[in-house]
This record gives sequence, structure tokens and C-alpha cells, in this order.
Amino acid sequence: MNSPPVLSAAERDISDPDVVARVLDGDVDAFGILVGRYEAGLLRYATRMLRSPDAAADAVAEGLVRAYRHLRSCRDPSRLKTWLYRIVGNRCRSHLVRRSASDVPLEDAPPLLDRADTEAEVERAEQLALVERALQRLTPEQREAFVLKHVEGMSYDEMAEATGERIPTLKMRVHRARAALLDALKEYP
Amino acid sequence: MTAARLLALLTSLAMPLAAQAGGARGGDRLAGHVPPATLPALDSMVEEAARAGLPTEPLIQKALEGVAKGVAPDRLVAAVGASAARLRSARALLRSDGAARPSDPAEVMAVAAALSRGISPQQVARLSAALPGEPTGPALHAVADLVGHGFAEDSSVDLVLAGAQLGLRGLRFLDVAAAAVRELQRGGSHAAALAHVRALLPHVPVPPGPAPAAVSRARRVQPSQRP
Amino acid sequence: MTHIDPLVHRVLDGDLPAETLTAAQREQLEALQVAARTLAAGPTSSVADRVMAEVRRTPVAPPGVGTRALQWLAERHAVTISFRPAWGLALAVALAAIAIIPSRGPAPALGEQEGIAQFLGRFPGARSVEVVGSFTDWQPGAVVLRDEYHDGIWRGTIVLPVGQHEYMFVVDGERWVTDPLAGRYVDDGFGRMNALLFVRPLAP
Repeated sequence: MNSPPVLSAAERDISDPDVVARVLDGDVDAFGILVGRYEAGLLRYATRMLRSPDAAADAVAEGLVRAYRHLRSCRDPSRLKTWLYRIVGNRCRSHLVRRSASDVPLEDAPPLLDRADTEAEVERAEQLALVERALQRLTPEQREAFVLKHVEGMSYDEMAEATGERIPTLKMRVHRARAALLDALKEYP
Repeated sequence: MTAARLLALLTSLAMPLAAQAGGARGGDRLAGHVPPATLPALDSMVEEAARAGLPTEPLIQKALEGVAKGVAPDRLVAAVGASAARLRSARALLRSDGAARPSDPAEVMAVAAALSRGISPQQVARLSAALPGEPTGPALHAVADLVGHGFAEDSSVDLVLAGAQLGLRGLRFLDVAAAAVRELQRGGSHAAALAHVRALLPHVPVPPGPAPAAVSRARRVQPSQRP
Repeated sequence: MTHIDPLVHRVLDGDLPAETLTAAQREQLEALQVAARTLAAGPTSSVADRVMAEVRRTPVAPPGVGTRALQWLAERHAVTISFRPAWGLALAVALAAIAIIPSRGPAPALGEQEGIAQFLGRFPGARSVEVVGSFTDWQPGAVVLRDEYHDGIWRGTIVLPVGQHEYMFVVDGERWVTDPLAGRYVDDGFGRMNALLFVRPLAP
């Protein structure tokens, strides 16, 4: 995978509805602005859901292509962000059902680190592994709710649009996820 | 790979080291490595196992391990004795189940290893009966892997046997267990993980092999450094 | 399950400022915030090239003339987006970068019943790390790991017979450590846990 493309100032300033309008008008390349704008968050979200960068890349790429093909069905382009998260969330759920061997860590062998890894990077990786292990102890719904709220920074309204769930349901999941995460983190030294 | 070579390969999965009772005398292997005061007791246990047709290598290994770990002599002797008892129990279990090869050293060691990993004799018997004439080591370890991750023992055996019925053998049983553990680690319940993997059978993922760079870096254990 | 005070939930939901919390409540707040920040360390890679290659391959047709006219009447002016040849270039570079990395040397000739075992452990400050196990007759000195990059990460790859092996790490010649990454363990009968390793044949 390559590094994320850098958007120009003009590309950063144009609103989602304006970009959507250009894409629907036939400007395929304009879709690249939306990709550049949202892929980092979508990749982060999908990686937490699928616990695999490769599977997350597949889910996000599939989701974005699907979003392009069905862009006309996005009723309110001012809420494009939550619409994209909904699509990618669905791809993640599909991936959880049909995952492949290459996406998953090999249980019989220790994880291998690259030559460039330093002790600090390993420490960060261990901290991330600790939190990810705790995150995996949550139910998939709790995990998604926690990630959308506290990692992707969505409001409950946005989360409702992204997941199709009611706000009281989402609040309950987030509250339970917080308690369960604290429980799980306590168990690890 | 021919069937004969495959069977030989699967048979070796229980213990790669020579385990035949006709191997080097235990005393020869242990002398100079174990505390002299323990040598008579240990040698006696090894000889008794050899006379009984039990594999002796696990006992020699356990003694060498205990010495390396600095274990007190009485604890060393007790641990080797416990290993011998486990081997005897394993063979008795194989005989009582009417196993085709109750005295096969690899089978005895595989069953002993499973018992030491907490698999009940009843479930060992189930697996042995379902895989007549075949090495049970990988299946037993697959069950032990699942139990080690909190899966119920009988459900674990059910899953492995379901794989066997669909033609899986040998190391593929370990892949079945690995698939269920991965599903669990993704946040599913134990029941959901088992159901998911059962639906995949027999096409559970095979783990990728080591990268060519890793293979080219591999060194052999120096034979001169081995006793 | 850990009880989280409703005030902590309200602060985390953005309804109250953090100053309203007691010290104990703040601890819970901070633990969750640290966890969230850790998870926010996202990937640095991109799927942009892949996505744009796919959408350009089968672009969706723009609406018909009548629809476009209505849309033009309804829309405000939009900034013109020029074609970005850099994306196409980036894609070409990405494709060119896919190459088979040559191996570092001839692989050891492995027998049919041999495979590879890779060991890795994090022991910063250690002077030596060995693997001692059934494949060394529990003797030290046979499998010595190396901290090649002086980062505290000790590594080693060895050829082993196919099958089951038990082992532990020995750090600085005296400290026996169970491999935390092994994932499979057995009681050694001496109060510790040996890691269990299954070596697969390298050849299919």
C-alpha cells in the first residue's frame, strides 16, 4: 500500500456535497478528494473491527468503490461521512464472515518485526496489542460503538446514521464497552 | 507425497526424537548430567519403562530438563516418575480402547502429552476410536489447544471429529483449532466460533509458510553442542 | 464488571467538563482516553490508488442532458477540479514497486521431515538469550538468539525436525522465561510452563 495522497488547499476546502455533485456530473477524479479525506479514518475503523490491516484495506477499498458506484443513492451528501462509514461497516461485517488465512496472525509462530523496528516502536506496539486484546474481549457491537465514539470521534447522531441503530441503543453499547474495556485492561499486567 | 511417506510424517508428529525402547541405555545418556545420587533411581525408572515396552525418551528428556532447570534431586526423581506413570496410563488407555497400535511409542507419547495437557481419558478414547489405525497426536493437540482457550472439551472433540469425517488429517487438525481460536479472538462467543469453523470445514485456512528470507537465515542446532 | 460512575459517562459523552470529576473518577476517564488515543494510532498506508484505478476502469455514466440541465439550474457554482496526473503516476509507481524480494542466500537443504522454527523475544538489557528445549536435550548453548540491531529484540531461526517440541528462553544464562508469544503451553512438572511448538514440513 502507498502513502496517503496529500490534498491541496482547494481540495480540502470543497464541501462534500460539491465534490459529490462533480463526481455525479462525470468527474471521476473528483472522487479522489473523498478518498483522501476519509480513507484514514475508515482504515483505522476497519482495522479495529477486523484486527488485520490487510483485511481492513480490502474492506475499505471495496466500500469506497461501492460508494462510488452508488453515490447517487446518497440522499444527503452533507452526511456523506456517516454514509461511508455505514458502507465500510457492512463490508467489515461481510469480511468477518468470510475471512482468509493470509489476513490472520499465524498462531504457531511469533510475530516477526521488521529490521527498522526500535525498542520504542516495539513498546508502542505492545501497548497497542494490550489495548487491542482488551478490545477483542468486547462484543462486536460494543467494539464498533466504542471505536466510532472514541476513536473516530462521532456524535451519537452520526453513529446512528452510520450504524442504523437508535441512539439509546448506541449509548448503552458505548457505556457497556467502557466498563468492559476497563475490566479487560485491569487483567493484563 | 506417497501415502506411506505421509503416514511416516504424521507418525513423527508426536515426538521427533527417537523413542524406541531399543535406543541408548538411559543410564548412558544421564550419567554425568544428573546428580550422581539420583542416577540409580532414574536409571531404574528408565530401565523399567524399557522392559515394559514404553518409550524411554520422554523420561530421559524430563530428567535432563530438570537438571538444566536446577531442580532439587527429589523433585527431579518425582517428576520423572510422574512422566513414567503418565506413559503407563496412556498405554493402558490405548489398550482398553482396543487401539490398533497400543504399544506404538509415538501413540503412547501423544496420548501421554494430551493427558498432561488436561484432556480427559474419555475424550482421548473418543478420538482414538474415531481414528482407528491412525496417529492421534495432532487431533489430541488440536483438542488441547481448544480447551486451553476455554472451549468445552466435548465440543472441541466434536469439532475435530467433524473435520476428520470430512477428510482432514494430521496437522490440519491444528488448523481447525487455530481457526476457532482466531474466531474467538475476533470477539465471537465460543459457540459462535465453533459454529463458524464447522461451517468452513474442511476448508479451514492453512497458515502461510515462512518467508524465503527466514528459510535462508535458518541455522541447524549444532550437533557438537548436544550431549 | 467495573462500575463507571454516571458522571464519567457524561464527561466522556461530552455533556459535562472533566473538572466535575473526583480523582478516582478521573482515573477511569484517563484510562479510557489513553486506550482511545492508543487505538487512534492509525495506519499510514493508503488504498487511494487501488480505489481510483477501479473507479476509473468502470466510471459511472453522468446523468442525461435533461437531468443535467435541471441540476445546473439548482446548483451553485463549484470549484473546478482539474485532472490529477499524480494519482496515475502514483499508481504506476505502486505497480512497479511490486517486486519479488530476492532471498538473502541459498536456503539450507531441508529434509522431508524438517521445517523452520522462528523465535523472537523482547529482552532489553539482556546480555544473552538462548532457546533451550527438547531439541537441545535441554542443554544451553545450542540455540543462541541474536540482538542483531541492538534494539532489545532477540531473534533466531533454526531448522528442526517436524513435530512437537518444548522449550523455554534462558536469559543471561540463568533466568528461565516462558515464551509469551508461543500461544500453547504445557506444565513442565517443575512449577513452570514450557512453550509447545509444532514444526511443519517446509515442503508441501
